[in-house]
Amino acid sequence: MVDFVHALRASGVRVSLAESEDAFRATSRVGVAEREEFKSALRLTLVKEEHDLPTFERLFPLFFGTETPPTLDALGEMGEEDLERFMEALQRLLEKLGPEGLRRLLENLLGGKSLSPEELEALGRQAGLEMASRPSQAPWMESRMQRALGLEALLEALLDLLSELAAQGMSQEALDRLAQTAGMNREAIEEQIRQAVGQAIARRMREEYENQEPIDEIMDRPFRGLGEREIERLREEVRRLAAHLRSRAALRHRRSKKGKIDMRGTMRANLRHGGVPIVLRRKRRVLKPKLLLLCDVSTSMRHCAEFMLTLIYELQDQVARAKSFAFINRLVDISHWFEEHRPQKAVARVLRALPPGSYNTDLGASLATLWRDHMGHIDRRTTVIFLGDGRNNFNDPRLDLVEAIKGRARRIVWMNPEAPYLWGTGDSDMPAYTPYCDALHEVGNLAQLARAVERLFEYR
Amino acid sequence: MFKTTESVRSSLAGEKYIASREICTALFLAEGMGKPILVEGPAGVGKTELGKVWAAATRRRLIRLQCYEGLDESKALYEWEYGKQMLYTQLLRDKLQQILAQAATLGEAADRVAQEEDVFFSERFLLARPLLRAIRAEEPTLLLIDEIDRADAEFEAFLLEVLSDFQVSIPEVGTVRAATPPAVLLTSNNTRELSEALKRRCLYLFINYPSAEAELDVVRLKVPGLAAELAKQAVAFIQKLRQMDLKKHPSVSETLDWSRALLMLNAGQLDEATLDSTLTILLKHEQDVLRARRAFEAERRRAAEAEEMDPEEMLRRQLEGGDEEPSWQPPRRRRRGRDPRFNDPYRRSGDGEG
Repeated sequence: MVDFVHALRASGVRVSLAESEDAFRATSRVGVAEREEFKSALRLTLVKEEHDLPTFERLFPLFFGTETPPTLDALGEMGEEDLERFMEALQRLLEKLGPEGLRRLLENLLGGKSLSPEELEALGRQAGLEMASRPSQAPWMESRMQRALGLEALLEALLDLLSELAAQGMSQEALDRLAQTAGMNREAIEEQIRQAVGQAIARRMREEYENQEPIDEIMDRPFRGLGEREIERLREEVRRLAAHLRSRAALRHRRSKKGKIDMRGTMRANLRHGGVPIVLRRKRRVLKPKLLLLCDVSTSMRHCAEFMLTLIYELQDQVARAKSFAFINRLVDISHWFEEHRPQKAVARVLRALPPGSYNTDLGASLATLWRDHMGHIDRRTTVIFLGDGRNNFNDPRLDLVEAIKGRARRIVWMNPEAPYLWGTGDSDMPAYTPYCDALHEVGNLAQLARAVERLFEYR
Repeated sequence: MFKTTESVRSSLAGEKYIASREICTALFLAEGMGKPILVEGPAGVGKTELGKVWAAATRRRLIRLQCYEGLDESKALYEWEYGKQMLYTQLLRDKLQQILAQAATLGEAADRVAQEEDVFFSERFLLARPLLRAIRAEEPTLLLIDEIDRADAEFEAFLLEVLSDFQVSIPEVGTVRAATPPAVLLTSNNTRELSEALKRRCLYLFINYPSAEAELDVVRLKVPGLAAELAKQAVAFIQKLRQMDLKKHPSVSETLDWSRALLMLNAGQLDEATLDSTLTILLKHEQDVLRARRAFEAERRRAAEAEEMDPEEMLRRQLEGGDEEPSWQPPRRRRRGRDPRFNDPYRRSGDGEG
């Protein structure tokens, strides 16, 4: 079970220590005899999100197998005469069969013995089980191990055996029972293999999970220096981060100190003072910010933009309205992607639609498009967010437009993935834009980005 | 309370509630471990009903707290009954004056009033709201917190405190502790993400639409008069509707309403006329009704055509692959409503591509 919890965590399901403790308590109550109940108990205590349920369903059989049929001894129930006949036929068959392994297997199959741990281990080595580290590889591994065991060849041999016994005049009933028992024992062996594979994969998953670099460290590393694998882990982290930020932002929705007096609320609150309004209640202001994002998605900025967009749209319920544009050399309205898809998917689509390449980043021209076509989206409640390095390829920065935007918008926030000491070097127009910005944030890694996004919800 | 999950099932069945294995295990564990259950799932699958039958099956008193935006402590926990306090001061004026008459100075008078103030801030004037009622109750209770997702995050945090140790401190009276901790069932329609802390403390039960067999069982149990064949047809029809891309899918409660309607109309089978006249019981949006009608129209037409065609012709068509008329496809899903989480294909598929 500990391995199972680790594998769940490795697959991105959040399981706290308290929850795994609950799982232990719950399973000790229902016991393991009733499989479905055991499974329900684990599911009820470990999985707390609807979208994590498929992960659970996928992993559970790997760890706890499907129902294991008991192995049966076919020989014990046989009559004296039949048994003698059978042993003779078997002896002949075994002499024909040759390889030692197959012979033992046949004995297993008929005698109702399961594979020993050593045998299983040897099979695993033969099939290359140590390479498997993902649940999706399980069926493939199982078939490899079955082949290594020679189950197919064995079935042939078994048929031979049965027909020979029939020829010698063994009763049909006894033959049927023999065939049935062999079939069931075969299933049991297959199940044993399945469980061995599941456990091996689980062990690998756990090892990998434990060898992973702590996520906090990856969050503190600059986007530029991250490999694909680490980016993948950050993608998982972003959703958690969003949930975290959301509850923080929601908790900040406290009663405001300004605004119109809420008559009903005030009366109710002051009933205890005899209706004398000692405590004033005020109408809750709509505190949600309106955002307009301008994201540079050129090659150097892609990961940063990706995480930024994901975060903002995961937090959509804390935002009154979000409108977003992407630009490299021209401006593209990307809001509609987010209306149709879940944030992570939408971001992936946007990035695919705007492939990286040797464009000429031109914020000036993009601003001109914004000014011409989309100024209606900017009003005195809008926070305009620029996400970019301010490197303009020596194009006109169009400071006049930034000034005009500042005149209309509530705030301008600039988020730059470059370290401040680089601002102004080369083709960076950052110092020119700086005076127009109400806030500047360095967002070189995910931790900084999360902080910057949280700040958006502080000033309302 | 329950010995095994099987006893849970039978006692729920006694209350006319068909519980899945998962639900039985959840109740069994909740009783055994003393943990609240958080139930999520689409509207109308019997989440609230589960609370009611749980209470009935265990002979607990049901205390229900319906959540809504703006719900606060005074409405969920307790409030001083000001009107009653005023009334009492009016009625007791003579007595008060008697007490005050003996006072020599203003200070002494105030002291005397202060001595008596316990009378006015006692449990007598305390208006207990559901949470406090559940905690104070002598007999075992079941606290049903309905649609917790509608309450604000602040209230959720407050609730967390109450649920963790089942005690409440009222400054004027003191701390009230639950003699027998109530069983707690929270329901959520998932219109917003609940906090992790709350989920951590609860058993999480997701109830989805039932399978055809389970739904048929429910119909048989609740509308016993309906002919078996018709019930089967009706359930199959509803299961088909749930596969379609609709604004709102018919819930189990709507299945029951519809079954009752069919029974009242004395319908023998699901023919076109019956369907047409009763479809609005199942579908509550104009567009959904139109869409369903179109879909079934097309299906009927195809069925009719298939009947007319000779077998050879049909086989040929099947082999050539319906070039005649494209089979009905659900139109592409647009974003809609406040709650994209349910029936959202992108979520259900586990965000594989992203």
